[in-house]
Amino acid sequence: MSLLEVRNLHTHFISHDLNNNQRVAKGLNGVTFDVDKSEVVGIVGETGAGKSLTAMSIMGLLQPPARVVEGSVTFDGNELIGLSAEDLNRIRGTELTMIVQSPLTSLDPLSRVGKQLVRAQREHRDIPKEEAWTAGIQTMTTVGIPDPERRMRAWPHELSGGMAQRVLIALALINGPRLIIADEPTTGLDVTVQAQILDLLRDLVRDREMGAMIITHDLGVVAHYCTRICVMFAGSIIETGPVREVFNNPRHPYTQALISSTPKRIAEQGYGQIGGPPPNLYALPQGCHYRDRCAKAADICHQTPPLQNAGGGHQARCHFAVDDATATPTVTHG
Amino acid sequence: MAEPILKVRNLVKHFPGSQPGETIHAVNGVSFDLQPGETVGLVGESGSGKSTIGRCVLRLYRPTAGTIQFGDRDITTISEREMRPLRKEIQIVFQDPYSALNPRMKVGNLIGELVKLHTDLNTADRRDAVAALAARVHLNADLLTRFPNELSGGQLQRVCIARALATNPKVIVLDEPTSSLDLSVRAGILELLGELQRDTGVSMLFISHDLETVELVSHRILVLYLGSVVEDGPSSAVFAKPSHPYSQALLSADLPPDPDVTLDRKILQGEVPGPVHLPPGCPFEPRCPIARPDCRQGKPPPQAIGDTHHAACVRVADGSNDIRNAESLADGDTHKKLQDQFIGRTS
Amino acid sequence: MTDVTVTTPAPVPGFTWTGRILGITRRSPTFAIGFLIVAIFAFIAAFANVISPFGPIETFSDKVLIPPGSEFWFGSDGNGMDVFSRVMHGARFAFGIAVPSAIIMLVIGVPLGLIAGYKGGMIDEVVLRSMDVLRSFPSIVLALAVVAATGQSLINVVLVIGFLDAPIFTRLVRSEVLALRSSGFVDSAVAAGNPTWRILFVHLLPNAIRGSTAMIAVRMAWAVRISATLAFIGVGIQAPTPEWGAMIRQGAEFIISGEWWVATFPGVALVGIVLGFNLLGDGLQDLLDPRRKATGK
Repeated sequence: MSLLEVRNLHTHFISHDLNNNQRVAKGLNGVTFDVDKSEVVGIVGETGAGKSLTAMSIMGLLQPPARVVEGSVTFDGNELIGLSAEDLNRIRGTELTMIVQSPLTSLDPLSRVGKQLVRAQREHRDIPKEEAWTAGIQTMTTVGIPDPERRMRAWPHELSGGMAQRVLIALALINGPRLIIADEPTTGLDVTVQAQILDLLRDLVRDREMGAMIITHDLGVVAHYCTRICVMFAGSIIETGPVREVFNNPRHPYTQALISSTPKRIAEQGYGQIGGPPPNLYALPQGCHYRDRCAKAADICHQTPPLQNAGGGHQARCHFAVDDATATPTVTHG
Repeated sequence: MAEPILKVRNLVKHFPGSQPGETIHAVNGVSFDLQPGETVGLVGESGSGKSTIGRCVLRLYRPTAGTIQFGDRDITTISEREMRPLRKEIQIVFQDPYSALNPRMKVGNLIGELVKLHTDLNTADRRDAVAALAARVHLNADLLTRFPNELSGGQLQRVCIARALATNPKVIVLDEPTSSLDLSVRAGILELLGELQRDTGVSMLFISHDLETVELVSHRILVLYLGSVVEDGPSSAVFAKPSHPYSQALLSADLPPDPDVTLDRKILQGEVPGPVHLPPGCPFEPRCPIARPDCRQGKPPPQAIGDTHHAACVRVADGSNDIRNAESLADGDTHKKLQDQFIGRTS
Repeated sequence: MTDVTVTTPAPVPGFTWTGRILGITRRSPTFAIGFLIVAIFAFIAAFANVISPFGPIETFSDKVLIPPGSEFWFGSDGNGMDVFSRVMHGARFAFGIAVPSAIIMLVIGVPLGLIAGYKGGMIDEVVLRSMDVLRSFPSIVLALAVVAATGQSLINVVLVIGFLDAPIFTRLVRSEVLALRSSGFVDSAVAAGNPTWRILFVHLLPNAIRGSTAMIAVRMAWAVRISATLAFIGVGIQAPTPEWGAMIRQGAEFIISGEWWVATFPGVALVGIVLGFNLLGDGLQDLLDPRRKATGK
């Protein structure tokens, strides 16, 4: 049993437009994956694919009109979907924590950093303030913030982007989580700072045997800091597997297009398949959601493609996933 | 060599800071040429001044010092009214198409606006021109009657490129044109830009923090740090043999999307300092792993490495500018081992 | 190379009037109620001449102070005039004050806000400080002074109110312009070669005024209230004009002696229309702001 097991998660946005017609946007359509301790799973996909939505659904942070309509999320064997906020709060923030995007807008601007670290602890445990303060300093040191005693008294707006990101990581770490979800942890940070933050995350996962889920659109981050990758499209995971396997041998046409659209590959192979407009979550095509943009689309794609096994934990949701012996670069379309 | 279409000499741009008496030194003496038909890439992290340079070239800002010459005209201090007719020759594509376009105008009118402002075409001819531009950027004609919020990021960026092209400019400044777009869409935009340059010979100033993209599209690149050029040269030369310590660190920090590539990272400490208090000598000196005492004595002038390849580092002269020799750097070997173990490369 | 084709749905399938009404009510019940109230008053104001049982100053000197009943639904006042008809005609005055003052507020306030926000610097400072000065006066006192000086007429009341409330819109529009400036919107328009007037009126104005629509309704409520207050203290409109404030003033003297209807009904009408405008403004805010398409991420 893995630390985190997500099974067939469906999250919909159910709203009414101005003409009182009900409109359902299907944000997640049967998301299934595991995260175990000491593994780092990278979730990649374009805007609207459902990456952040997956994290929010797992953490129980969905706001109306978004709702989990089907599926289950178990953490250490305990079902999270349907838990009361009270029960959820025992796990959230302690064993299961999340680092959100944009650190500078995620910290409470009206409290000093140290106070926020203390608060994060005392919300879940009854410990004296001094102890919480000391623990805060320790965690700041762990995340590599220089001069932590002084920095505990800093206001969020006094922090640089990289520093603020480290504080967010400290907040996520301070109660000793077993699993961390990091939503775009390095977007907006300078390249040289990204390296520091990612190395930090990697070391923490290794030292504490934590599980981690990194949501990103940066394939470079996944290639070097994740052990497994899940590629999302239109609310489902269309390919998953060990990072090297998937990068060297992508089976799903979308993954193939994604990998071949990086500048290095373009330099080698030229411009190939061009991406298309994002899928319309209000009106997804029947069967394979990718078929409107796919070079290989055929009649059979009107049926929902099964999850095909390519061996070694590598799976792809495509009718043609295991037909081709090798991953061929996609054909120019049109 | 043909006359450069754009000549920037010792460009300086300072802004008043938030506190009285403070100055933000955004650009501190940048010089470069842009030849017709060429793409020059401006690369740097936050605080490098790259976006500010782009805006100065377009005269959206007025330079604090230095000169900008467009063709044979000095545009450094001309008024907005004098600049306006020149705007059909220098255009810009911004990073976020949604905030750059008037959300209440239809896409067709947004493209047509450029035509209207700079030509005398009547309505019918204008409509044809817009249709032709849409076709040129491979934008479906159906979209011309839509509003910006109904288009995807990639489609909307094509609209912005169509606007930039509408007047047949000689120079297009692109400020992070693909950074806010999804991966799968970026390639299409880059391909389009390449195509347009081949067809029209337009020069481009490509501003980006994404090294791989810049390498792909630029002929020459300038590496910027805290408002100064630390290295410049042909794109292939700079990427093959980065000579300034900062360029070396920057390029080594890049994460190629290929797990089989071994990383050879040179991790710098700290972050880019703020642009208010500049270091006395070389801007990179406080963080430089191979800094020497004489690095503090004034900004190093560019040293030649090849014909057209320069790095502004005092160590170039004696060849000691390789930061792999630095002792103070985070242990590269340990990192490599950790990384390999982690990914499962060494078993 | 693929043509980048569209898969977003063509706008608005399934439009019906009932659907639209229900959809809006669902999105903002406040708006629906406010709209209904204002619409009713507007209807009354438009057709008062036709549908009121008696004329607004039609006098029955023998039927003074009759309580509400079958003859006079809201009773008759001290001069023998039908309160119901007068209340209906009062609606015309309410709108006749609210609408022109709103127009004046916008005509003065919005361009100042546009220019202050766009130009910045000294011009911005001058405009802001002037607006501050204007707003620092208690409006009633200033209105009193102006109307007393210039004469007791409807037009003067309208002008004064419009003038006094203009700074609110200046400030709203100015902050929208500043936000647009920092988003690169203005840079884009300048880079395209737009002359200043186009930037201000074609690009900035329609986008900057969006945040003010709710405020317009609220200020209209205020305009009605303040003109009624002025009339009540005897400034501006006077009896026998069927303006609600004047009617309340008239009716005030009868409350003690028990003829409550003369003042109460115009009072209720006043409260009603002010409530309606306020709800309308609130509801507009609900409608315009969180109306973002729900996208999954």
